[in-house]
This record gives sequence, C-alpha cells and structure tokens, in this order.
Amino acid sequence: MTLAAVTWIAPVAGAVLGASILAPLVALWFLKLRRKRRAVPSNLLWVRSLADLRANAPFQRLRPNFLLLLQILAVLAIAFALAQPEAEGFGSTGGRHVVMIDRSASMNAVETGEAAGGEEGVTRLDLAKRAAKERVRQLLGGGWFSTNASDVMVIAFGSRAEIRAPFTDSIAALEGAIDGIKPSDESTRILEALELSRAFTANDRPDEVETALLADPPTIELYSDGRVEDLGSIALRTGERLVYHRVGEASSNLAVVAVSAERPPDAPDRIQVFAAVANPRTEPARATLQLAVNGTVRALTPEPIEIPAAVERDGQFIPGRAQVVFRPIEQAANAAIEVAVVEDDALRDDDAALAIVPPAKRLAVLHVGSGSFIVRTLLEGLPIERFASRPVSEFDDLVAKGELGAWDVIVLDGVAPKVLPAGRYLALGAPPPVEGLAPYGTHRGVYARIVRDEHPLFRSASLDELFVSQMTAVQVDKSFQVHAEAAEGPLVVSLDRADLHLVYVAFDPLDSNWPFQRSFVNFIANAVELLGRAGDAVTGRALAPGEAIAMRLPAGSRDGQIRLPDGSESKADIDKDGNLSYGPVRLAGLHRVSYLEPGRDERAERLVAVNIADAAEARIAPLENLSIGTKEVQGISVAESRRGALWPWVLALGLLVVLVEWWWYQRQIRL
Amino acid sequence: MSPAKQLRRLDDLLDSRLMSKLDAIDLMSRKIFSGKLQGERRSRRRGQSIEFADFRPYVHGDDLRFVDWNIFGRLDRLFLKMFLEEEDLSLVIAIDTSASMRAGDPDAFDYARRVAMALAYVGLVNQHRVSLVSFAEGRVERASNLRGRRKAAEVAQWLLALEPSGASGFEDAMRLVGTSRSGRGVMVVLSDFLFAEGFEKGLRMVAGRGFELFALQLLAPQIIDPAREGGVTGDLLLVDSETGTETEVTVTPELLRIYKERLDRLCGALRAYCQRRDITHMVVDTSTPVETLMLEYLRRRGLLR
Repeated sequence: MTLAAVTWIAPVAGAVLGASILAPLVALWFLKLRRKRRAVPSNLLWVRSLADLRANAPFQRLRPNFLLLLQILAVLAIAFALAQPEAEGFGSTGGRHVVMIDRSASMNAVETGEAAGGEEGVTRLDLAKRAAKERVRQLLGGGWFSTNASDVMVIAFGSRAEIRAPFTDSIAALEGAIDGIKPSDESTRILEALELSRAFTANDRPDEVETALLADPPTIELYSDGRVEDLGSIALRTGERLVYHRVGEASSNLAVVAVSAERPPDAPDRIQVFAAVANPRTEPARATLQLAVNGTVRALTPEPIEIPAAVERDGQFIPGRAQVVFRPIEQAANAAIEVAVVEDDALRDDDAALAIVPPAKRLAVLHVGSGSFIVRTLLEGLPIERFASRPVSEFDDLVAKGELGAWDVIVLDGVAPKVLPAGRYLALGAPPPVEGLAPYGTHRGVYARIVRDEHPLFRSASLDELFVSQMTAVQVDKSFQVHAEAAEGPLVVSLDRADLHLVYVAFDPLDSNWPFQRSFVNFIANAVELLGRAGDAVTGRALAPGEAIAMRLPAGSRDGQIRLPDGSESKADIDKDGNLSYGPVRLAGLHRVSYLEPGRDERAERLVAVNIADAAEARIAPLENLSIGTKEVQGISVAESRRGALWPWVLALGLLVVLVEWWWYQRQIRL
Repeated sequence: MSPAKQLRRLDDLLDSRLMSKLDAIDLMSRKIFSGKLQGERRSRRRGQSIEFADFRPYVHGDDLRFVDWNIFGRLDRLFLKMFLEEEDLSLVIAIDTSASMRAGDPDAFDYARRVAMALAYVGLVNQHRVSLVSFAEGRVERASNLRGRRKAAEVAQWLLALEPSGASGFEDAMRLVGTSRSGRGVMVVLSDFLFAEGFEKGLRMVAGRGFELFALQLLAPQIIDPAREGGVTGDLLLVDSETGTETEVTVTPELLRIYKERLDRLCGALRAYCQRRDITHMVVDTSTPVETLMLEYLRRRGLLR
C-alpha cells in the first residue's frame, strides 16, 4: 500500500495531535532535571532527612520555583488544548442538535472586512452555511478522543421552515443539505422551524412523549442575524437549549418599503408612482431614488432625499421613513414599475420595489337582474368599456357555455344564480350560492353599526345615514371579511377565494334609503373598481416573498413557466380550469409568468411583483443577544468562531511556555 | 574543595613541633588499670613500687617478703604491706577506615590518622602499650602491643598504609576488639559514626569490658554544614561513597534544616548513649587543628594530661 492510497480523514487534527505530544516529549527530555552527581560520605542523613521532609510535610509547600511554575503552566495549557475547549455558549458536543439556518432577506446582506473574513461579496447566508458546516464537523467529528457523536438535523427557515436534513450523523448528508440552502427574500419567522424540530425531538416514542423530550433535549444551533419577527411570541420548552450564532456585522441599509402606481382617472394613459423609503439606522440618511419602467430608467429624484433616523418610541422601533412622489409618466401599456435606491448598501434585495400596472383598459360590466333601473342606470353611468344587462336565466346559460370570461365584473342585482363560477361579483340583496355564506331569515329596521371606513369600498361612502327596512340575515364563515354590520348581523361582506371575488350587500338597496344618498353611487363605483382590479387581471397586488403566485388564466391554458428575478426558469402548474399556481416565491423582484392560451401559438405573459417591503427585514444590524421569553441568549459571532477554536491558541501558548522554560533552564544551569 | 595533601611520611602525620609538645603530656585515665609490663603508670594492683598503699591480713600463699614484721611483733598477727605497683597502660586506637571517612576537606580519614598518630605517640613515649585497630566492612587490621618511642615510625608506617574503602563493619570490628583485648586500658574510637546499622551494638561490644572509652566523632565541615562553600546545593544526585546508592535530592533550606536536625539528633543520640555507658563522646570538626584537639580539647575531656 502506498501513501497515496491512504485517505487522511483529519490530517490537520492528526498533525496537531502529533505535534502536541511530540513537542512536550522532546521538551520534557530537555527539561529532565539533570542532577549533578556528588559523592558524599554517606547518604544516611540525606535519606533520613528526605523521609523526614516527606513525612512531616505531606502537603509540603511547593517551593517557589520558576521552572516548576512554567512546567505547570505548560502542562495545564496542553491539557486544556487537548480538551478542545470551545467558547462558552457553544453547548455540548454530544446529544441532539438542530442546526437552524436563517435564509430570510436580511441574510442576503453582503458582509465585508473582518466579518467576512477578508473576503469580498460574501453574504450572511454564505457565512452562516460555512459556520454551520464547521459546527457539524465539530459535532460529528467526535473530537480527538470522543466516541460520543451527535445527531444533527438541519432546518432552513424564512417565513416558512423547511427540513433540509432529518436527524443523522452523516457529515456528508448534512453538509449537502446545508450547501443546498438557497437564499430567499422572505421575512424571518422561527416558530415553524421550532415546531418542526420539536416534532422530531419530542415524538420519537409516542407512548413516552414526556420523557422523550426531557431525556434527550435538543440543542438548537441558530445561525441568524437575530432579526426574527416572531421572537417575542416564542418560548423555549424545558430542556431545550438555544445557541445563537450571530452572523454578520453590517448595518448600512435603506429599503424601499412601498411602491404604488395609479393611473389618474383623468389621464388613464399616465402612471403616477408613489414610493416610501425606510431608514432603519439611528442616523439620518440620504438617498437618490430612480424610477424604472419595464427595466428602463425613466426618472430620478432631482436631488437626494433626506430620510430621518429611526427612533425607539415606547419600546417600539420606528424606522425613519420618507415618501416620494414621482411626476406622472406617459405609459399606456402595462408596465412593471420599479423604484430603487441608487446608492449601494449591505442589502441590495430590498433596495427596489415593484408595482405592476395594467394597460389603460376600461372594464366590461355585466348586470344580471330583474330590471332594477336604479342599479342599472348607475352602472351605465360609470366610465366602463362595455356594459350589458341580462336576466338571471341568461346568466346561467353563459355559465353553462363558459362564456363569462368576457366580463370583468358581474353585478347580481337582487338575483341568485344557480351556481357561481370563478369571477368577480357584486351581489345585492339575494344571497349568492357560495360556500360559507348561509342565509337564515330576515331582519327588519336595521342601522349600520360598525363600518370599516378605511376600506376602499367605503371611500367617500359613509353609511351613517343608512336605514334598512329589511335585510337578509346571513351567517358567514371566516373566509369572508365583514366590512359593515348592523346589530343583527353583517350588512356588507366580501370574499376572495382563489379566483372568486365577491362583494355581497345583504339587503336590496330598494329596501333602504341608500339609493337616495350619494354614498350609494360611490359604493357601487368603488365596488366595481375594486372587483375589476381584483386578482391578477387588472393590477398585480405585489406579493411578499413566501407567498404563492395564484392566477386564473383562460381555461385550457397550458405550459406555464415562470422566469424568476435571478434569471432562472421554473415550471408552473396550470389545472384544467386554467388556475395557475406556483410557490411559495423565494425571491423579491419581477416574476414573469408565461403560458400558452388555447388556440394561440404565441406565449402570453403576465407580470407578478414580489417585494420585500418589510421594515423589519430592512433592519439588518445583527442583534447581539436574543431575548426569548425570559431568557437572554448570548450571541456568538461566527466571524470569531471561524477564526478558530480556542485550543490551537492554548496549545501554542503551552508550547511557547515550554520553550521559555527550556531557555530558562539552560540559563539556570549555565550559571 | 582543594585536594588534601597526601600523607606519606611520619612528618605528614605528626610534625616535629607537635611531637615536642606531646612529649610533655601523658594519657590520663579516670580508672587505674593493671597491665602486664611494669610501666610508668600507677596501677591499682598493689605491687612492687615504693609507694605504700595499704595493709591486709595475710592469707596462705602470700609472698612472705611483703609481711610487715613490725606489726607482727606488736600485734602478733601477720599483715601484708601493700604497695602501689607502677604498670603500663593499654591504649587501643580504633580507626574507622570505611569509605565514608574519605570525605570533606580536610578529610576525616587523614584527620583520624593524624589524631591516631598523635595519641599513639603520646602512648609510646610514656611507655604504654599501644594497639592500633583499623576497621571497615569485613576487614580488621591490627598493630598490637607497641611500646616505646622507637615504635613511632612503625605506627606511622602502619597508619600510612591504611586505605579507606567499603562500609564500616563497626559492630564486627568492635566484637573482635572486645573479645581479643589483652590488658585493660584506654580505647579511643576515631570514626564519623555514620553507620547505617547504627553505633549501639558496636559500642556495646567494647563498653563495660574494662576499657575507658573515648568516642571521637570526626565530622568534616562539609558534613556539619553541607551547603558550606557551595557544597551540596541545587539539584543533585548524591552517591553514597560506601554503598554506592544514589539519592536524588533538591537541596532546599527546609531540607538543610531537617538535615542539620538529623545530624544533631544523631550526635545527640550518640552522646546520650555514651553518657549512659560512661563513654566520653566528643564531636570533632576535622577543620580543628590536631594540635588544638590534642593540647586543649582532649586535655579538657580528660584523655590527656
């Protein structure tokens, strides 16, 4: 067998071990006390004196001997090094360990200088993964003399948690799992990760749930910058230990936390863009914002805007915030609007936010009803593209034929169709056949008691003067939102369930004084506008990382694909009804969904904006310590731990002491 | 430690200046011993000297020449006149020739030989019977019954021929001396008394057998104070000159203190033992000039006069 055929599993450890034994051995050879031979008449007195000395002083004082002191120091240092000490807080190396790696947006912050170990362009996630792998090797390497290896599990988490590797003692599997963790722009929520780990540690033996947890409590090795949203709502269970490996040092960051774009009613070919920039640092900042439309820069703030410093008020952290309004730009076609901070900072992912603005298109509204002229007349007066009124029987025919796709909003005016397929509906009076909405009678003479005025439905539409002589008593489940309610029950509710968007008014307007009020006109206009823009058809509500993309495509659409912000392509599922679903999305940025419509060869495209828009994630300065419940967990910087464990330094010290001792001894015997 | 001057001649053992001073002194014994030869010393044995001692009744067999006929005339009873007889004195000098004696500066062995020579000279010039015994483990050499100044050279030769080696064998040597002695007298033991087996048994062999015993414990200054003049200090491997056994010691003030205590205890035990058995014990630092020892210390202790 040649040396080349030998695999060295831990050559460095072996070399260090060898050196640490060899060096003291040689040193001790040097240091062996070379006593001078001296002939004496008789040893009698000396032997007896030595016996006396030992007998009289079993704990004889060590005479002040510098050599002895150095020897003790050297032995202590070498022994200390052989014990492979770790900094306090690393926890034990035996037992079960759950390595939790934060892959939220703030972990994409780029570290420089010492925190990055001198490398450039290293993200916190890279550092965390590197440190986690080192820790895994520490835990499973077994130490020099250890036979008690650990079981390690790897969980990656952002807003959602994912088990990357279940409990195993395979270093390769764990390293592979850690390497496979991809960055995301999600927010940071640790609860799910904790629950996942508990599911694995507490339920090993279902008949002994209690003892299982107590007998083998896991150590959670958290690699994060500590910016965890739900930290205040979690608590460690008995026996659980958490070691917080603090990642990163950078704190310089600005974030575009909101962007919205509207077409002014009087100029639908233009887009007005509003943006908000947050400054999570404690000193004011200046930033230049740029506005890009479909990737082309169209505007810049004429001069850097001032963003005030963040403040702590009543224990609440309030980032500094500045609003920016860009001048309206000409853009009739649909557009992906991006507002970005020009200046560089540690976290680039939140420096831009997107809004998708649909083409300057007007709505097609179908009125289905028995012929209430008030509602029909009102709808006719709205600035819409197309309007038609049909009896309910025709509506059912359209449903059967699948021809509802031509209408953006359908107003059910006092009628209830047999079925309510996916679409956007404003239902007045008669309760539509929707799961979760259960009529059970009528109420008479009611007033609106509680109204969510801030909802777009009630923009300039106050219900203060509303009196309803008769309403349908309905009960709604949790999927409904109640926007206005009387003492007797809900008056106005809405539902957004997949591609079914419904606003239901539980009374016929003709049974109330509403038609005589201006708020009725505004409400109907608001509802049509809201429903018309609902879903993906009109304006893309920006998603947050971690959410799923769901959109309704024309039935029969196929071959859905999504181009992600990082340029990669991913396949998206489309069911037979044309519902596309993908997710959860990991990255912030523009997601381009393309698909083939039936009968067309060209791929159709829809844009989905995904924005971090999270002031908590924008605050990237790592937390020194974590407060979990009543416990304060001391953070250990991975930058420091990466520089090396303690033992090599202690070993070096020990060897240095040996050298000093040798030198001292030589000096002494020369004298 | 400077090498000791080698003893080669009588002059080396006893210089003429000291010799002349010693001519004037004699051995003194608290006891009066009987000897075989008529000597210059009064013996308790009544004898033929002119110095009258006592009367005693005549018994059959007494020499009629010593009957005091005047008393017979007056009292009609036979009395014998008793005179003090002058007899010789037996001086036995026992020299320890174990290897441990070859230590120190001046070394105890050479010192012992000088003292032996001086004592023997005093004995010889005063017509005493001088015997010399050297003892070491398994080896006892003797020069017996020397008398007269002329024997001084012979004594010197004998002493110069001695070579120290091995362990002491004190007990065996004393047994031999105790059982084979002839005549009563003075016995001087010159040794360091550093015997692994102890000194008690050896001294018991000669004590109470008619000797007036003098135990001169010769200790080199380096034994009395090992740290003296950079002697035994630091980390040492001490090699026992008698047995060759090695002992690792790190000499500390505490150890030195204990050593001195041990030495004091050893000397004290020897002194106490000697007192109980009417033996004169004396610790002699070998740095003490032989002249001082002979003319002052031994006189003071009643060995010489």
